[in-house]
Formats: sequence, structure tokens, C-alpha cells
Amino acid sequence: MSKEKRSPAALIVGLILLAYALVLKTQNAALTPSGLVAVADYLKTMGTIGSQVSVGLWAGTIISLFGIWNLVFPSMKSKFDMVVRAPMAGIGIIIILCYVTRYYLEPLFKIWGKLAQPTLGFDMANIFGLNYILLGIILGIFWVNVIGIPGWMQSGVKTARLAMKMGVISLGAMYSITELKYLGALSIVMVAVFVMGTALFVLWLGKLTQASRPLIGVLSAGMGVCGVSAAVAAAPVVKARGVDMAYSIGMLLMVGVVGLFVFPPIAKLVGMNELQFGAWAGTGILNSAQVAAAALIFDPNTIETLKVAEIFNITRILFLPFIVIILAVWFAKGEEESEKGQVNIGRVLVEKFPIFVLGFLVMFAMGSSGIFTPKGMELHGKDFYSFKLDESKEVRTRDLKKITAFIESGAVTDPKVKSALEKLVTDKQVTSAEQTDLVLKAQDFTKDKDLKQAFKTADTKVKAKPKTMEMMREYMMWFFAFGLIGLGMQITWATIRQAGGKAALIGVISGVTKAVLSFFVCWLLIKGSI
Amino acid sequence: MAEEKATTTEQKQMEERALSVFASEKKEDLTALLIAFTLALLVILFLK
Repeated sequence: MSKEKRSPAALIVGLILLAYALVLKTQNAALTPSGLVAVADYLKTMGTIGSQVSVGLWAGTIISLFGIWNLVFPSMKSKFDMVVRAPMAGIGIIIILCYVTRYYLEPLFKIWGKLAQPTLGFDMANIFGLNYILLGIILGIFWVNVIGIPGWMQSGVKTARLAMKMGVISLGAMYSITELKYLGALSIVMVAVFVMGTALFVLWLGKLTQASRPLIGVLSAGMGVCGVSAAVAAAPVVKARGVDMAYSIGMLLMVGVVGLFVFPPIAKLVGMNELQFGAWAGTGILNSAQVAAAALIFDPNTIETLKVAEIFNITRILFLPFIVIILAVWFAKGEEESEKGQVNIGRVLVEKFPIFVLGFLVMFAMGSSGIFTPKGMELHGKDFYSFKLDESKEVRTRDLKKITAFIESGAVTDPKVKSALEKLVTDKQVTSAEQTDLVLKAQDFTKDKDLKQAFKTADTKVKAKPKTMEMMREYMMWFFAFGLIGLGMQITWATIRQAGGKAALIGVISGVTKAVLSFFVCWLLIKGSI
Repeated sequence: MAEEKATTTEQKQMEERALSVFASEKKEDLTALLIAFTLALLVILFLK
């Protein structure tokens, strides 16, 4: 924003946000859905209207007030002016674009993906990762190259990295170290070897090809851990530019899509079983959605492969905090080397270690300590559970009768499973995660589809959605959506032309190496059950 | 040599300013920490 010129931009943008929130609120209060609410109904985003209205009202009011301030006192000289007042109009535009990606584009692609599934044979939105992360970057790239960034928006775009850092710090709360104890030793060892191995391999390949350090850092996290979200989390740690992220994410998704179609036929060809394929897909394919899809392509009739793949996938995701620390040290060490020619690792850690990564680690420790988990709730796998006895969680009478008849028939061979089922009948609800694990692993029980469905319904009833975690997730998604659109706005055609070849080379080599090595390990070493 | 290093540092600082509204990376990190932890505290206080 020009220092002397009076610009109404922030006020206009703030009023647009306020108007949107008020229209949505008014239409939502009406008896019949119309206008924006009818669109939300079609896009299945009715559940987000409350959040849309409150963010719109808060952001719209704040930006409008700053807009009036900017109009009355256009001179901007102090640090506060530069950091807070000047970026307001740009921040407002990016918030509007966040609405577009999160509440309109992502749901629309979800619907199109499902509609096109019978023709294509796969859900394109799921497979190509067309969620707010990718769509945000694409929208940012579109904006800067087609519409351009006017002077009054430039400061706002420069707040993108701050938002990314806030997103990474909040992301720490989504992990819990206690989860590792529920995972099998084999999955932990295998994933640790492949995650760390791939991450280090990418760093080495990057050095060999002399690719830029931010690009190598983002690719290393993405190829090693869990694809797009790991690349997003690592970006601010290694000071990645928007173009580094765009190339890395593009590469990760492409390698994943190829893996998705190549893994199942190869596994069928060599006669892999569900456990072997689940472990291979969970280790070798990069993106979570693609892992699930590959498991379902391999074994569409049961969820055995999917379950194994998910265990490996969750284990892999849990390694993200460790990769973040390794990358932070690696990047700081590299900066010290280029500046001073020599490295004092102690000084590197004190002077160069990114402070916001400490925030991520503190948040990770807080999440692990259970500070965000309300009393009476427990985290198992990806879900929270509340096992407190409650009528609303009780199993339907006809399902209880079926389960009782099954126990009385004497078909249960494992005494532990029998006792778990008897406890279910006594309490009329699921009372522990171990009970679910035992019952769903018992093949003599799960081979009856009705019984299995009855138990899964009972399990769903004890699942809980803690408001604390929902809110932390909401903050995180807003920060990432904002940051990624802003980063996308730093990607011009010129920067795209400059980079690219090396990302593709490193991505293909590391992706293929990881897939081939994990194939042999799973095929030759995994026998029987995990 | 010293001149070259000074130019590189200056260039780095300019690149830094081109990417962020903050004068230094440290200030940006501290702001991110302050906002993220304030929100987390509010979540724990009001929603737990």
C-alpha cells in the first residue's frame, strides 16, 4: 500500500466479508434453504455454516475497522503500520480465497470425483489429492499469473509464511507419542527404516544433483513421511519458496498415482497376501488417500488389507515430528556452513534452530500429555473414544440378541474374544479399545457380515469428537489454507520455468527406490501375521 | 572476500524482506508462537 495515497481497499474487502457472513446468517435462519444456504446444501457444507459466519463476522469487522483507519490516516511509518495495518487488505483477499477453496472448490471436486467414479473407475478428487491444500496453491498461482498482485495486496501476501508457521505449530497438537505403543513392533521398525532411509536418501540425492536446499528439504519430508501434509509442514522449516512446494507436491502426487495403479497388479502377479500388500502399500505409497485406495483396489471385498495399510500409514505419519527436527538441524547447519565456512553444531542449534519448530515440539508434548483431551476421552488410532456408560451408546436390542445367539452357539474359539463379547452383552455397549481390537480381529466373528456390522455400529457409538481437537484442527486448516494460497501467489510463470527438472529427477529416483526396496522387504520377510 | 560476504548477507536480508512483513525471521517466529499458543490456551480454557 502506498504510504500517502488513501486506499479504500481494506474497507471494501472487510465489507465484502461482513456482507457474506450476514447474508449467510440471514439465509440460514430462513425456513426453506435459498441462495448461499441452498448452495451449501448441495455441496454438503451445511455443517460449516456456523464457522463460516463467525470467521466472516470477526475478520470482516476487524479488516473494516483497519480499512477506516487506513482511509482516515493513510500515512504508514511505524513498525505496527507495516506489520499490521498495511497487510490488512491483502489478508482479507486471501481469507476470501480460503472460503472459495475450503467451502466451495474442495466440496465441488469431492462431488465431481464421486460422480465421475463409475466412468473413471476411481475417485479422482481422492486420488489426485484435490483438497484445500492443492487447490489453494493452484488458486494462488492462478491469481498471481492471471489477475496479478496490486500494490495494496503485496504486504498481505507476505504474511503467508507467518500463517504457515502457525499452522505447523498447531499441527503438533494433532500427534501423540502414546500412539506408538498401540502399533506393532514390526510396523514401527519397518517404517522407521524406510522413513529415515528415504529422507536421508533424498538429502543425499539433492546434494548430488546440486538442487536447492529448500527444495531438497521439502522433498525429503514428503518422500519420507506422508506426502503432501509432510511437505507442507517442512516448508517453513527449510524456508521453502512457493515454487519449491508446488514442484514437490506435484511430484509426490504423481509418484503416488503411478504407485496406486502399479502396486496392486504387481502384488497379484507375485501372489502377495493381504498383510504383505498392506505393509507394502503403507510403506511405499506416499499419500494417505492413495494408500487407502491402493489397499481397496487390491482387496475390495474385505477391509483386512486396508487395516494393515492404515497401521503402517499411521506409524509413518507419527514420524513427522522427528523428520521436522532432523530437517531443522540439517538446514541450520547448511546455512552456517555457507556463511562461516565451518560448523559448530552447538552454536547452530542455539542460533539457527527455528524457534517456531520448538513451538511445534511443545505442542506435540502437550498433545501427548493429553492436555487437549477432555476428561473421560481416550485417543486410539485416529479416533477419540468415550467409554463412559451411557444409554445413548447402547447397542440395539436386535443386535445384542444376534451377538448373544452367536456366543451361545459355541462358535467362538478364542476365550478372550468370548469374554469381550460377553462383556459387550452385559454392559450393552463397547467399554474399551482393546475390546474392539479383539472382536474385529476374530475371523469366526467377522465372517458373518451382519454380526460385524452390528459390532461396528456399537464401536461408532462410543467414538467421540472432542471440541478442543475440532477447534485446533479448524485453526490449523485456516492457517494452512491461508499460507498455501499466499505461497501460491509467490509462484510466477518465470519461477516455474527456472525450477522443476531436479524435483522430478529426485522424486522419481527416491520414489522408485523406496517402492522397490519395500516390495522386497514385505514380500520376502513378512510371513503369516503381524 | 569480506566484501563478497557482505553482499551475500545484504542480498539475503533483502530476500528475507521480500518474503515477509517482519524485519527478521526471529520476530516472525515469535509472533507465530504467540498467536498459536494464545489460541491453544483459549481452546483449553473454554472448550475442555
